[in-house]
Amino acid sequence: MKLYLVPLIFFAFFYNQVNACPTGRIFITNERGDTVSVINGDSLVVEATIDVGDRPRGIGISPDGSEIYIAVSEENKIKVMDPVSLKIIREFNAGSDPETFAVHPNGNIYISNEDDAKASVFDPKTGEQLAEISVGLEPEGVAISADGKRVIVTSESTNMLHVIRASDNTIEKNILVGARPRAATFTKSGDIAYATAEISGEVVKIDMNTGEILKRGSSGDNKSKPKDVVLNKDESVVYVAAGRANKVVAMDAQTLEIITSIPVGKRVWGLAISKNGELLFSTDGVSGTVSVIKTSTNEVIKTIKVGEFPWGVIIND
Amino acid sequence: MLNKRILIIKLSFIAILIVPNLAWTKDIEVHFAFVGQKDDAALLGAHQGLIEANLQGRFLNQKYELELINFKNILTHDFSKYIAVLTVVDIDTYYKLVDILPNIAIFNLSIKNNLLRTACIKNALHIIPSNAMELDATNQWKKKSPHSSAKAQAWHPDFVKFAARDLNKRYKKHQQVSMNDSSWAGWAAVKMTSDTVARTKIDNSTEMLHYLKTELTFDGQKGSVMNFRETGQLRQPILLIEKNKIVAEAPVRGVAKVPALDSLGLLSCKK
Repeated sequence: MKLYLVPLIFFAFFYNQVNACPTGRIFITNERGDTVSVINGDSLVVEATIDVGDRPRGIGISPDGSEIYIAVSEENKIKVMDPVSLKIIREFNAGSDPETFAVHPNGNIYISNEDDAKASVFDPKTGEQLAEISVGLEPEGVAISADGKRVIVTSESTNMLHVIRASDNTIEKNILVGARPRAATFTKSGDIAYATAEISGEVVKIDMNTGEILKRGSSGDNKSKPKDVVLNKDESVVYVAAGRANKVVAMDAQTLEIITSIPVGKRVWGLAISKNGELLFSTDGVSGTVSVIKTSTNEVIKTIKVGEFPWGVIIND
Repeated sequence: MLNKRILIIKLSFIAILIVPNLAWTKDIEVHFAFVGQKDDAALLGAHQGLIEANLQGRFLNQKYELELINFKNILTHDFSKYIAVLTVVDIDTYYKLVDILPNIAIFNLSIKNNLLRTACIKNALHIIPSNAMELDATNQWKKKSPHSSAKAQAWHPDFVKFAARDLNKRYKKHQQVSMNDSSWAGWAAVKMTSDTVARTKIDNSTEMLHYLKTELTFDGQKGSVMNFRETGQLRQPILLIEKNKIVAEAPVRGVAKVPALDSLGLLSCKK
């Protein structure tokens, strides 16, 4: 063997270990179907439907892309799926009624336990609970800054965003927002966050260093009950899933004014955007579909039938 | 000399410990009065609301308490410290209360009488739906399902939509019974008041009454934003129950006119 190939082979080997080759697949939890739908990222066709257990909701992916995590609410478990073989490879107890979670850059999972007014931190490799943080009633959305320093947990019935310092898992701030905050997302720098409040129909923009609400925007008419929120690649547009208004609303990230409303299926909750920023996927719960939106035109290019009551969506890209 | 110096150091150390603690002690203490009986379901609901208010208050340095007052003592009791008064009383006592306490919100948790709404009493806040609202709800449903014998309710323990599941679950866990119309009303009165305190830091009854009546956006865990009509009635969806099963929600889709919540009950005052 040529000697100069050794480091190359070495690199290739380790690259594979550290960064599992992404499958390009899109994974959808179907809350009432008790399944995960797996969509091929190229053809945008469902290639498999996997039974995962009673009421799967939150879904996430490990930082290296090698594992998919699924919160199976009624079984109080997180199940771990191999994105290549699509097999459930292990599971662990995740407290009472696990719903939404986010994966920290260090690999740990921050999860809201809706019944217990708590957020907990798990090591998904061992299933060990590392910390438990008391938060408000009905904790729901979880977001983690890209640098891993801050975690937001929204508590729906206490109308707050709890800002948790990840280094010691203590609450550093509580920010009161509109009624029933459901989801949040950080900008890449972590200085700004956007959050939705379902009952007040609001999207808020928050300075994460001061806790000050910089802007409030309405996500539309009174049917609009915003849930998931994501930013586009250059962070100029905030996309909001507008629930029973059956649309995804694109808002100017600076002014929070509505740029356009994109009609999708019924009761849209979940959103995920591809790494290259080109495609946005929404889960349309009541319709049982996933809508694929092209972000350059803000138009639905495909509607994919999935299982019953699709809830969460992630992309393995 | 040395002892004195140590004492000063000790004292200043204690001061350092105490001063921030003082700043951290309860910023706001809020008192509710409940005029009724100790076995009222609405009182259990109010207690649930109190648990939740104190959980929220933990993050904001706010503390909430509730005092049960016998209706026989209303003329002699000092109501000045209360942010609001919750009531499960007969209509005569209710009229008496709104009259002697004109600057404090008097929550009606039990009386469905229509005239009490059209009287438009400025400090009367009716959480429980009126007879007219219930009748409109059942009539709307009959247009869709003519042979139904459904009856209208404000709440049901099997209600799961719009996070009603969560409220039912935690109510049962803490109070050991299922939530019903009365307990929902008691919970809602405390929750909307404590949400307002959290949001606005209002701690006096006059401002609270004004805010509740004019600026409220309340999440009553029935899916819609709730606020009060000029009549003092809380706008809210109503459940239709047949054989103890939820068959529909009013405003009934396709029957009710927009704005839908005002298709239920009386809207104007009797001049």
